[in-house]
Amino acid sequence: MNPGVLSAGSRGLGLAEQARMVVQPGRPEAATPTPVRAARPQARRGLVARWLDWRFSSWTSPLLVLAMWIAVTQLALAPEQILVPPWQVLVSGWELVQSGELGEHVSVSLVRLVSGFGFGSVAGIAFGLLVGLSPRLDDYTAPTFQVLRQIPSVALIPLFILIFGIGETFKVAIVAKASFFVVALAVHEAVKSLPARYLEVAAVLRFSRLQVIRRVVLPAIVPDTLTGVRIALGRSWMVLVGAELLAAENGLGQMMEMGRQMFRLDVVMVGVVLTGLVGLALDRGFRLLEAYLMRWQRR
Amino acid sequence: MKSLANGAGALLRGLLLPALLLLAWQWASGRGASAAYVFVPLEQLWTGAGQLIADGTLALHVGASLERALTGLVCGALLGVATGTLMAQSRVAERLIGPLYHSIRQVPLLGLVPLIALWAGSGEFAKLLIIGIAAFYPTVLNTFEGMRQVDLRYREVGAMLTLTRGQMFRRVLLPAALPAIITGVTHAQVFAWLACLGGELLFAAAPGIGSLLLVSEQTGRMDVVLLSVLVISLLALALNLGFTRAARLLVRGRSA
Amino acid sequence: MTSVPPYSPQRRLALSAALLPALLSITGVRAAEPLPPALRIAAVSRTGPSGKTLFAGSSALVAEQGWLAAELGKLGVKLEWVPVTTNSVAVQVNEAFANRSIDFAQYGDLPSIIANASGLRTQLVVPGGSMNNTYLVVPANSNARSIKDLKGKKIALHRGRPWEFPFARLLAANGMTQKDVRILNLNPQAGASAVASGSADAFFTLSDAFLLEDKKVGKIIWSSKQAPQDWKMRAELWGDSAFLEKHPQLAQLVATAYVKAHQSVVGANGRENYIRHEVAAGQSRALVEREWEGDATNWNARWAPLFTPELRAHYAAGAAYAQQARLIGRPLDTSRLYAPQFVEQALAQLKLQNLWASR
Repeated sequence: MNPGVLSAGSRGLGLAEQARMVVQPGRPEAATPTPVRAARPQARRGLVARWLDWRFSSWTSPLLVLAMWIAVTQLALAPEQILVPPWQVLVSGWELVQSGELGEHVSVSLVRLVSGFGFGSVAGIAFGLLVGLSPRLDDYTAPTFQVLRQIPSVALIPLFILIFGIGETFKVAIVAKASFFVVALAVHEAVKSLPARYLEVAAVLRFSRLQVIRRVVLPAIVPDTLTGVRIALGRSWMVLVGAELLAAENGLGQMMEMGRQMFRLDVVMVGVVLTGLVGLALDRGFRLLEAYLMRWQRR
Repeated sequence: MKSLANGAGALLRGLLLPALLLLAWQWASGRGASAAYVFVPLEQLWTGAGQLIADGTLALHVGASLERALTGLVCGALLGVATGTLMAQSRVAERLIGPLYHSIRQVPLLGLVPLIALWAGSGEFAKLLIIGIAAFYPTVLNTFEGMRQVDLRYREVGAMLTLTRGQMFRRVLLPAALPAIITGVTHAQVFAWLACLGGELLFAAAPGIGSLLLVSEQTGRMDVVLLSVLVISLLALALNLGFTRAARLLVRGRSA
Repeated sequence: MTSVPPYSPQRRLALSAALLPALLSITGVRAAEPLPPALRIAAVSRTGPSGKTLFAGSSALVAEQGWLAAELGKLGVKLEWVPVTTNSVAVQVNEAFANRSIDFAQYGDLPSIIANASGLRTQLVVPGGSMNNTYLVVPANSNARSIKDLKGKKIALHRGRPWEFPFARLLAANGMTQKDVRILNLNPQAGASAVASGSADAFFTLSDAFLLEDKKVGKIIWSSKQAPQDWKMRAELWGDSAFLEKHPQLAQLVATAYVKAHQSVVGANGRENYIRHEVAAGQSRALVEREWEGDATNWNARWAPLFTPELRAHYAAGAAYAQQARLIGRPLDTSRLYAPQFVEQALAQLKLQNLWASR
């Protein structure tokens, strides 16, 4: 399967272009994005087709959902406690921003995420490399790794509190654990699936071990590592919010949990929306980083 | 012969680290009451395990959780395959469903729990719903991309043979997209298990390994807590291996 | 399809059919409210060893007595018990009231205040219950003797739970405010770990405090046993106001059933029977007995289903605290939280007026 096609979605190429790439395998960049309609002279010019061509058609369904939300709350079809009106969510959001609370919660959560994720992914890359390059080490650590990997972070909270005490450390540790395993696994698989040809060429060129690592292995595993790191980022964000729901004095998760306890569904909704937005921003931001770092692949 | 010895050697080597960890654990549990609170002594864990298995508690809870997780997985995956197919076949569907899918996907499932609890209660249905949603996401994505990436040549052949839409789907698209769909279901299983656990921890009381974890935490039975965590991890591992093996069997023989 | 002319006979009939209920309600002729198919009561529960759901508190007794189920059965109404986990009783019950999936709930005082303050309408139907004590636990090797020694220290407390209120009273009684201590908002399991590892200086919770003492990782330096009864956490029977208005006869049956349960609890072997239920639901007998050992409040008095001035003062103070702790936005007028008519009727029916005569 043409690997270029698999990443085409993430490179933001439209589906027409992706289809072209399938037809001409092996030359992903030969596809010039010619509109599909040029190949079909009898194009539909009906309402649906026009809507499909509209640049902002992606906004239609979210807007429709928003409209339904407003309509349901206006008609009071559901009690206020169950379905909070959208403007109430906005108002509460604004109040939280004004009182500085929201900023504090978001920044605290992000700091935890970045530190935990930083530690975890760096350690994960190092471990994945070591274990990928040395089958012996792999034998020693594989079973333990697989079992520890499956332990749900939520269940680890009391244990981590006991080891790390109450405070930022245990939350950072939980995030680190989550990202470590995802990244380590991704790097391990990447190293394992390195084509033997590369290593043979390195042997022919008589590279030292260090040179092999630096000039062959590392560059080759970059794409898969980046994907693994991106997935780890998303997972870590979920794990952090989950941990904050249960055991934190501040942070977005805790804000949502307190909102739930106080039966303030508008606060919970603000938290939900914001968690989603941060997750989205992290994901997109990372994809941009990936695209930038992998630009050499396009040449 | 050599590979058998190698295999045995690998297994032994793999057991070294767990053995060391257990020793470290036992040492930690001897370091005072505070440490023994969480680093429960191994004998206590052993007897606790025996008790759980003997009085059938473990089987009861494990069975309930597995049933819940698999039910939710099946429902979520079927819906996911249906939606992914719809989105692949119809640009209108894709344009409508796609944005909603991508925006809701970003919200951690645990954050949706309060909303689900309000709209669907806290009972069995809510738990199945959250498992279904967790299974839905990866399945949709994989089905969609799988269907979309069916080689255009196959579709042209189908068109040449003037297959009807239904025949095209059954004979060409579905078999070609099957590897991707199966990968999707395998991913979905992982998330479904996590969602099952989360649901048991956050929704109403009912039999399940997550509930066992919660109850034992509340009654201070730290040995049962640790055993539950271990059982959860082992089950996750078993499910994962099971599905990956099954996936490989089903996809064997197809050129990627 | 040809369009129907505006005022055809069919249209007129349809319009009148639509207007009839409105006309009836205007003229006061109300069709009798049909009975609901089921009456749902939420109560704390745990999964027992054989997978059965076992309830805690007086709900277990009501379920066991079977009288309520039988009476409701005669009217064609099914009695449904809705289990809620101890961990998140308040949120599950409030959410269930909000989406109309329960009619009654046996749960705490502070969550009921929060519910009513947010616009839900529930009322107290049968007061009285086992009343939980609260405990202040410190690490086993700590030197703190009382709350005053914990000034400026970190105390683990799960915010929004009912025992936040007794904690506030404890602080106030010692001339302290929440600003004098650092509150760590941790759920009970995390709080227990925190105090066991010494990373929190104290932990305020219910009888799970005994578990820490038994494991020798904590010691209880204060309990509400000797404090005024007011300070204990109350968990009582609340009902959805709309339901109480629409089906007073069903509400009466529920109230009578719970009063009967209270009666049996303070009667012969009542306490023993109650302990048996708690143990069956998963609590350890030793724990349950320690909870009541040395307690100043007498057994009878706990279960008195009376709307005394002390009860009203308790809720008024609770509402004031909730507002001051910013748990609720608007002040709550607690006087409309009570529906004493059902208990009064029940006591008269069962001829129990003197059992709990006010002191």
